[in-house]
Amino acid sequence: MNLERYRRQILVKEFGQRGQETLSKKNIVIIGGGGLGSNSANIFVRMGIGTIDIIDKDTIDITNLHRTSLFTQEDVGKSKALILEERLHAINPEAHIRGINQKITKENIESFVKNADVIVDGTDSVSLRHLINNVSLHYNIPWVYAGVYETVGMIMGVLPQKTPCFQCISQNIPESIPGEIPVLGSLPATIASIQCNETIKLLLGKPLAGLIIYDVWDQCFDVMNIKRNPDCPVCGKK
Amino acid sequence: MIITVLVFGRYKDFAGKDQINLDISIGNTLRDVVDAFVKVYPAAEKDKSRMMVTKNKMYASYDAIVSNGDEITLSPPVVSGG
Repeated sequence: MNLERYRRQILVKEFGQRGQETLSKKNIVIIGGGGLGSNSANIFVRMGIGTIDIIDKDTIDITNLHRTSLFTQEDVGKSKALILEERLHAINPEAHIRGINQKITKENIESFVKNADVIVDGTDSVSLRHLINNVSLHYNIPWVYAGVYETVGMIMGVLPQKTPCFQCISQNIPESIPGEIPVLGSLPATIASIQCNETIKLLLGKPLAGLIIYDVWDQCFDVMNIKRNPDCPVCGKK
Repeated sequence: MIITVLVFGRYKDFAGKDQINLDISIGNTLRDVVDAFVKVYPAAEKDKSRMMVTKNKMYASYDAIVSNGDEITLSPPVVSGG
């Protein structure tokens, strides 16, 4: 590992050379390569995560460009996962990057995430998040939820059996919001950045913040400390 | 009975503060708290059936009974875009 590349980051006392060396040995899986996933992948590869898999079956659409990172107008119509693989490799050739142009399903999710140290949520689907939550609990793999809507983002790291899971906080929400979700262009980069910090903390064994709610328009930042729900059908005591 | 409710996210903007007092009856549920909140702050109406509600720091069903001294929080529903 070229430590010089990370010299300014190693100077951060919470992180240090030990943190840098730890990140270089870690494996994260990003599910979804859109607004959140492309921005978080961009940050992770620059920070020095050793292995990054990005899974997305979609192609780049012109309507993605206002909120994504690394894609250009010439990429429209191409695979998000494969373009991200190419761009991330160019940013940091030391990292092991794999773009996986496949749709995540109940049947195949295990094969993609079983070796992950942390799963990073870049999806736009509630049902897929429940699938990630289930596999996280089953295989004891932490994950970091993030979602965006209009000017509001939410982030929550899930440490299985230690912190509330996604089901604990989402019982009342519908499977999906019909129609296109409105998103301010600056929001996913901001929320992905916070999501990356929570992921790095998980990778370094540091405590998580809780459920973070950030409205980037009103600059209103909240952290809610929620307890696990003992009756949760996913993480509660059976 | 008067209960104190902590509000998060844009609800704080609606209320202009981070905690509010609501007047509910003994035996009322969290659904009644949500209804009372929406009545005072109609801008929250669209979240009414999806609002995230916790009681004593734990996500709770809308049918949960509210007792004197409970810590209630209301926050916007979990967002799902990516």
